[in-house]
Amino acid sequence: MSQQTMFSSGSFQSDSSSSVRAKVFGIGGAGVSLVDGLCLDGFDAVRTIAIDVDADVLSDSIASEKLPIGRRLTRGMGTGGEVSLGRKAVDEDRDLIRKNLDGVDLVFLLAGLGGGTGGGAAPAIAKLARESGALVFAFTPLPFSWEKQRHQMADDALAELRKFANAVIPLPNDSLIQIGGADATALECFAQAGMNVSRGISAICSLVFRKGMIDVDFAHLRKAFTLRSGRTLFGYGEGQGVDAIRHALRDLLLCPMLHLPDVSRAADVLLITVNGGPDMNMTALQQVAGSIREEFRAGEHVVFGAHVDENMGDRVEICVLGATDLEAGIPTADVAPAADPVLTTSPKAKKTKPVSRAHASKLKRETAAAKKKAKKQKADPKTPDDQEFFDFMQTENQRGIFGDQGKRNLYEGEDLDVPTYLRKGIKIDV
Amino acid sequence: MSKILGAVEIGTHKAKAMVGVLSPAGDLNVVSAASVRNKGVRKGEIVDYRKTASAVHAALEEAEKAAGAKIDEVYLAQTGSHLRGAQLRGSSSTAASDNRVEFSDIERASEEAKRKEPEEGRCFVHHVRSPIVLDDRIVEDPVGMCGSSIEIGYWAIEGDNNAIQETVDIIDGYGRLPISDLFVSSIASGAIVAGADLQQSGVLVVDIGAGVTDYVLYRHGHVAATGVVCVGGDHVSGDLSMGLRILEPYAEIIKIKHGKAMVDESDAKEDVWLIGNKTIGDRTVSRKSICQVINARVVELFEIIAKEIGSLLDPEMVSSGVLLTGGGSLLPGIDRVAENVLGLRTEKASFPSGIDGDLAHPGNATVLGLLHYGLKDSAVPAESNGSEGLFKKLVHLVGMN
Repeated sequence: MSQQTMFSSGSFQSDSSSSVRAKVFGIGGAGVSLVDGLCLDGFDAVRTIAIDVDADVLSDSIASEKLPIGRRLTRGMGTGGEVSLGRKAVDEDRDLIRKNLDGVDLVFLLAGLGGGTGGGAAPAIAKLARESGALVFAFTPLPFSWEKQRHQMADDALAELRKFANAVIPLPNDSLIQIGGADATALECFAQAGMNVSRGISAICSLVFRKGMIDVDFAHLRKAFTLRSGRTLFGYGEGQGVDAIRHALRDLLLCPMLHLPDVSRAADVLLITVNGGPDMNMTALQQVAGSIREEFRAGEHVVFGAHVDENMGDRVEICVLGATDLEAGIPTADVAPAADPVLTTSPKAKKTKPVSRAHASKLKRETAAAKKKAKKQKADPKTPDDQEFFDFMQTENQRGIFGDQGKRNLYEGEDLDVPTYLRKGIKIDV
Repeated sequence: MSKILGAVEIGTHKAKAMVGVLSPAGDLNVVSAASVRNKGVRKGEIVDYRKTASAVHAALEEAEKAAGAKIDEVYLAQTGSHLRGAQLRGSSSTAASDNRVEFSDIERASEEAKRKEPEEGRCFVHHVRSPIVLDDRIVEDPVGMCGSSIEIGYWAIEGDNNAIQETVDIIDGYGRLPISDLFVSSIASGAIVAGADLQQSGVLVVDIGAGVTDYVLYRHGHVAATGVVCVGGDHVSGDLSMGLRILEPYAEIIKIKHGKAMVDESDAKEDVWLIGNKTIGDRTVSRKSICQVINARVVELFEIIAKEIGSLLDPEMVSSGVLLTGGGSLLPGIDRVAENVLGLRTEKASFPSGIDGDLAHPGNATVLGLLHYGLKDSAVPAESNGSEGLFKKLVHLVGMN
């Protein structure tokens, strides 16, 4: 779908007057290759920038901007997996990075967390981005289970990144085999992973940059994701033909990305975007939106956007992005959460710190209270069995069966709570 | 009047309490049994103290009510990832000039073996004695025999103080009910499903529970190794839930109705309805997918056990093979997987005669074994003869610090 088509269709237009500035940062080897593979047709306003310590990686990249960091530290060589080098490189070029963040409202970070640059620099850049007042979404490939040493590194980096980014969407390599077909090559699997990142970014961008039949804007997005989140969920589904939208819903619910151990199964905030052809049925759309809200037991903060694109023909795509555990269990990072749903490009966001904090904690209380209320309202047991099932939906299912112990069940570097078939790369057909 | 003795297991799905007596022949007679669903334990460890305590207390109350008597003392099972076993060895030379072994020689060797202190915050749950080696001979009781050096070994199991204390507190919270002893779950299960003859010829007992798998290896009639692998039936259900993209409760039902540990050729042709009521949202999946998910998990479980036990799992020394028990052993084909992975003849364990009906559920192995072991233990009059009393202490010194 291109921007031109959007114009030619006439019934809607790209909101080119949008003052929102978005930028995609590819950090480290995996991050840069994801940026290179992005398909963000129609979002000309979205800039991409490749950042790495390794000069070779950057010279091969096709990103619109390139920013080598830590040159004095490694003289253009890689970090060799040293997280501390990645961190120091950001320290060294802090001002350069700040300059690149200046005026940017929406930051996407793409970084493989199993590497030195990705693992070290991504959290540091996320911190700088938050300090400059941007809303930060991170898409982070995680190493395969068998890459044992990297796994621990990635875990640590993920925890660090979650302190700063508004939402972190982990993309475990273990899931690639489930995403690709039974006989997909490794290359095809990675390409598929890249597609998923593109879809996620496109979904968010289409909310911000496109006028849709159900329209939301950056302020909605900012308000929904104003608090830093713990677990997230991210999924995609598509359908075609008669009843395309219901097929897409079904496909979405089977999306392997939604069925991973660390993925939240309920959402305190949920972003739903639907893209379809001109024949998209409004009633079906509403029903699907309702089903999705119910499926993820979404709270009050649902951002729903629907866009019509003639190029889609009889195809429909649905993308969901949700987050839970808002500001819970995450040590307060030393940045000002940009809490006000006001489009601000002011680098002075820091000054609003105390107010923002107070606002954040108020929001948190409200969310908690709302949750309690919801629980009360729903707790109307018809039979004891129903009650038991419902309890399960409320707690265990929300966090996964082993999700609440907070420690990994490690055996020789592998987390035994992660399904064996995922770790061993056994493709399961559903 | 003799004491009313009970056994308590705080399992991942259920808290179980039993009251029993020993027949004059030494057989176990279960007087009453109670089992209460517990949602406060994950993978064998307490995550919600109050939920767990109320489940355990409800089970005790029910067992007492059914028995028509108050329980005087209980035996308590221990499991969880915090338990770790290690071989401790000690030796001594015979002191007497005629090289005859005296009890004090054994005591010195034993003291040396047990000199090792647990780490800070941990304590020993058991010291289970291995055979005594007198010079190069394996002997049961060397007192009075001739030889120059005595070597004694213990399989010592240590655990986290807090984890153990919590379980003790729960029992204490039931009207200050005294605990006679603690046993690790694996040894309890092993005691009921593997008789003395099997233990002598060498046998591995694997108890696959909902949250964890406990195993015990017997060689020469003694415990040679025990262990806990934090993988159980819940993992199989969790894997199915993710693999088939269905809610956990449905996954659990699928596991019970259609689950198999082996993938057979015919499975690819069989389609299974996931929710089963064929309503909107229900769909079919190939049985092969179900079995693939389960097979991967179960194979890995036995691979971990094999790795943990290592060279002790020598087929010649474990000639009675493997016995599977626990709720997880109900999974069809799991014995075939164990046999393939461990390279040992594997059977699903059965209980001694007299334990039948609902009681004979493999999920009861630990609590039945605990009761049986405990009752036998208490039946030996400790002061009947000096050496035996002390010896009994050596055989299993169970101590809380």
